[in-house]
Amino acid sequence: MLMFVVRRLLASIPVLIGITAILFVMLNVVPGDPVALMMKEHASPDVIARVRAQMHLDDPIIVRYFSFLWNALQGNMGISIKLNRPVTNLIAGAFPNTLMLAAAAALVSWVIGIPAGIISAVRRDTVVDHLFMGFSLVGVSMPIFWSALLFQYVFAMQLKWLPVAGFYGPKYLILPAIVLGWSSAGVIARLTRSSLLEVMRHDYIRTARAKGLREGLVITRHALKNAMIPVVTIMAIQVASLLSGAVITEAIFGIPGVGRISVDAIQSRDMPLLQGSVLFATVLVILGNLVADILYSVLDPRIRSQMRKGGAS
Amino acid sequence: MTTPKFKLLLATALTSMLLLSPAMAETLRISYSGDPKTADAQMTSDSYTLPLNIFDRLVEAETTGPGVSALVPGLAETWGVSADGLTYTFHIRQGVKFHDGAELTADDVVYTFDRMLNPATKALGTDILTFIAGAQDRLDGKAETVSGLKATDTYTVEITLTQPYAAFLALLASPQASIYNRAFTEKAGDQFGLTPETTNGTGPFILSSYTLNESEELKANDTYFRGRPKLDGLQIRVVSDNETLRLLFESGEIDVFDLDYAPSAAPYFYGSDQWKDQIRSGPRVGIYYYNINQAKKPFDDVRVRKAFQMSIDRQTILDKNYYGRGKLEDGVLPRGLACYTPSTPIEYNPEKAKALLAEAGYPDGVEINLEQASSWSSQWSDMYQIIQAQVAAAGFKATIITTDEAAFLAARKAGETNAYTQVWSADFNDPDNFFYTFFSESGSKVRAYNNNDPEVFAQIEKARGMTDPEARCKLYQDLATRVVGEDAAWVPLFSLDHSYVVQPRVKNFVVPWNGWSDMSYYNVDIE
Amino acid sequence: MTVTASSPEVIAEPSLLREGIAAFARNRVALVGLAFIVVLVVVALFIPWISHHDPYRVALDEQFLPPSLTYWLGTDNFGRDVLTRILYGARISLLVGTLPSLISLVIGAALGILSGYVGGKTDAIIMRLADMMIAFPSLLLAMVVMYTLGANLLNIFIALALVGWASVARVVRSETLALKGKEFIEAARANGTSRLTTMVKHIFPNVIPTLIVLFSLSIPDAIMWESSLSFLGVGVQPPEASWGLLVAKGKEYLLQAPIVAIAPGIAILLTVLAFNFIGDGLRDALDPSMKD
Repeated sequence: MLMFVVRRLLASIPVLIGITAILFVMLNVVPGDPVALMMKEHASPDVIARVRAQMHLDDPIIVRYFSFLWNALQGNMGISIKLNRPVTNLIAGAFPNTLMLAAAAALVSWVIGIPAGIISAVRRDTVVDHLFMGFSLVGVSMPIFWSALLFQYVFAMQLKWLPVAGFYGPKYLILPAIVLGWSSAGVIARLTRSSLLEVMRHDYIRTARAKGLREGLVITRHALKNAMIPVVTIMAIQVASLLSGAVITEAIFGIPGVGRISVDAIQSRDMPLLQGSVLFATVLVILGNLVADILYSVLDPRIRSQMRKGGAS
Repeated sequence: MTTPKFKLLLATALTSMLLLSPAMAETLRISYSGDPKTADAQMTSDSYTLPLNIFDRLVEAETTGPGVSALVPGLAETWGVSADGLTYTFHIRQGVKFHDGAELTADDVVYTFDRMLNPATKALGTDILTFIAGAQDRLDGKAETVSGLKATDTYTVEITLTQPYAAFLALLASPQASIYNRAFTEKAGDQFGLTPETTNGTGPFILSSYTLNESEELKANDTYFRGRPKLDGLQIRVVSDNETLRLLFESGEIDVFDLDYAPSAAPYFYGSDQWKDQIRSGPRVGIYYYNINQAKKPFDDVRVRKAFQMSIDRQTILDKNYYGRGKLEDGVLPRGLACYTPSTPIEYNPEKAKALLAEAGYPDGVEINLEQASSWSSQWSDMYQIIQAQVAAAGFKATIITTDEAAFLAARKAGETNAYTQVWSADFNDPDNFFYTFFSESGSKVRAYNNNDPEVFAQIEKARGMTDPEARCKLYQDLATRVVGEDAAWVPLFSLDHSYVVQPRVKNFVVPWNGWSDMSYYNVDIE
Repeated sequence: MTVTASSPEVIAEPSLLREGIAAFARNRVALVGLAFIVVLVVVALFIPWISHHDPYRVALDEQFLPPSLTYWLGTDNFGRDVLTRILYGARISLLVGTLPSLISLVIGAALGILSGYVGGKTDAIIMRLADMMIAFPSLLLAMVVMYTLGANLLNIFIALALVGWASVARVVRSETLALKGKEFIEAARANGTSRLTTMVKHIFPNVIPTLIVLFSLSIPDAIMWESSLSFLGVGVQPPEASWGLLVAKGKEYLLQAPIVAIAPGIAILLTVLAFNFIGDGLRDALDPSMKD
């Protein structure tokens, strides 16, 4: 198991380097100049040229890439061109906010989604099933900026139960967590339901039932473990995407998180900041996937033995 | 001795202290659509609310009436200009304190402008100081000081220019010319303006907190030289979503709502009993215009440009898209600017436009692109669609091309755009701010006008140095006729009012003369 | 070969396919979904002949008219008939919903099966690539692709397909891993069946139910993605309309003329529902263990 983890971590290094290279190339291919963007309508060619030279933005691309890589390996992600602050500080400042939002949203999503999926599968084709699946469907088919606005209008402005936006305390997280969590809950619920239904058709389930085991035990002891395998994949992916910043939710609810920073970085062509935030998100996802794979081995002994042999990276 | 009477007295005293102490509730809550990123006015080119409230300048442009401003003394009590227009002498007010207690001296002024021109600062606002003698050398790294900047004694600054520049005084009122303290700012280094601990100014408000992408807070400066502001503080929230902003305002969490962010909501606010008396409106000394790029076909032909001018029904756009809140403009300068005189109205005549197009070799119409940036507010994208439909009647088959802002700026700089529309509000009250920006040699190129008329270039340069106001204004008038009428280098559209809705508790909110969203809140009060 | 009631090999036999179609035809809910989509596609294709309203006109005098006999759902901020705009938008949204999903499904399934079955270096490389795609924050990836290639419909397909294939591959791979150990696979290998045949004839059919579920999950995803991209300004550009763009732009008028934003939202909802009914029906019809 340890070998497996170590191999995975080592294998991630080329992934990270690959991503930095892709970003570097992309940002240089895409038209746009961070300094010109900072000046917008007050653009003056002399000023732009001078500041660019000062920032070494006109050096050859190979030079810039390797100097960036060299610094990054020592933990120095550089200074954001637009915000003029160290990238590591910016991300360290924004991440806790994203973490809180992600945790809250994940909580909403799993606490609602998984039980809903299970109940729907067990009470298949009943009113409850249709109701839950209906809510899930609405959750995945309403665009986030829409549900955000509706929630804000109803709960914040009309009912005045919650604040409209901002991030000055825990209650400011409630609306965004619900909005974010609703759509992921929908995904989880539907996947849990279909996965559980799938598993429940299998032989060994029928055997267990035939043996006379109570339905509840059948489900929990036998069916759930296997049913959760694809669900766990999706959960890990969802957490990863939540942690890399729910861009639109953060923008609408005014949460100063990593999503906000990443989008700003793209729009401002801010290379150091973009590298920093994407690399950061990548590391999180890699860790998240690692955790998910370890969970598989807990759930499925066949995979565990494969892992023990050090295979299946 | 804690007799019951004493306890009662104590309780009463404490309670009344609490009641009489300045209520921290007198904080004005405003919003910004993106984080201002720094309070250092030299390092930004579009977010000036922080500098306008934290710092002062030598002179200030005070709004004396709707769309009208006057230059009043700021940190400089009096000033004089030499006869040849080259040397400005400023007498600095004595006894002005920075937030950290240091006293303002002439040396601080010299330091501030030198800092701007120091290449190591990487300042963005250097254009306002390029007329100072020695500025270019300093920028190029050829000198360690600026020869034209001198502190002749503790409270006197002498600034010498390379050539007379009529707008120089007005320039010094712009936020980029905010004055810093030498000792503090040197010590803060590149952190200046980024955190409360590294920001220090003379202004009416002190930066008390800065949370990136969330909010900035300022508190009143009790020892401000003009007297403490009536507000206790200012809270600037970063709100990037327009509908959220509106909800924040309507649910009372924000005090000022800029109608620019919800132009289609104007009828609602004007018609609502709750809000109609809470609208503060003022003319914007700024002009909406349509750029035309002469470096690309078909606009290299003046007839096509004139046809374009005639195929836009500006009055309808003004009436329907902007609910009639503005006035048509026909020149280069908007109403309210120094030297403004009305120009010959541009007629709306799609038939004539069609004829001109045919004359120019496009009897069946011509294809053009209208470029815009996706981050611009929807009022622009709406305008583009309206104009696309309008110019079709004259034969212009317009395709709207939307890219993100960076790509748009890059295309524009390379001269690859056909036409785009934008607005320019006066930075300072002088025609040079419009003519030079758009039709000087560098402006015409970087903004993709490519109106390569050497005479126009020469005259704009000449006008900068003219000292006779009447002759100068006449020159600008003639230039407008030439640029808009003969060369058809752009299409002036209109100047619009800028409207804000404020909460009933907000008093004394005045729309600044140039219609900017960035303003000083020194005079605002809350009750 | 011994065929037990649970042996999935039988999927490959044509008679079950016919039975599958028959089973689908008996599923009324699925049929409703199918009917809705068919009608939608037909109307979207022939809309220029059905509606005489111009979806691109600008008639500021007729802004925000309430529903009437002329304008069944009223007009938008440019005086355009909302219903017509929605139906024109259906073309783009249907395309955006299905094409990228199909592409990413095909790529993801192929790579996932390959990766899971063959293992070793191939698995390592493919999963590394998939990791990179998944690790890269999806919205940012889509944005960067759109910025690089420019904002038009084709590039939206590319961006969305790029974003989607990796998670398909992962799920398919884990299913493949689970299937690999099953008896009938080992039996086939012992019989001398080539790896390619095993993958295509034995693994792939058993992965289909998952693929179908993924497809029906990814269509609404794709429509949502397009809507987010339009909200951020890098999706479909005005004056073209897709449902996502209509909803994104309509948000501004939600408090004034709600129909302008709500109607396309309902269109999205109904279409997503329809695709889900179809998806569920397909899965139920094709899985033989439903036979008892």
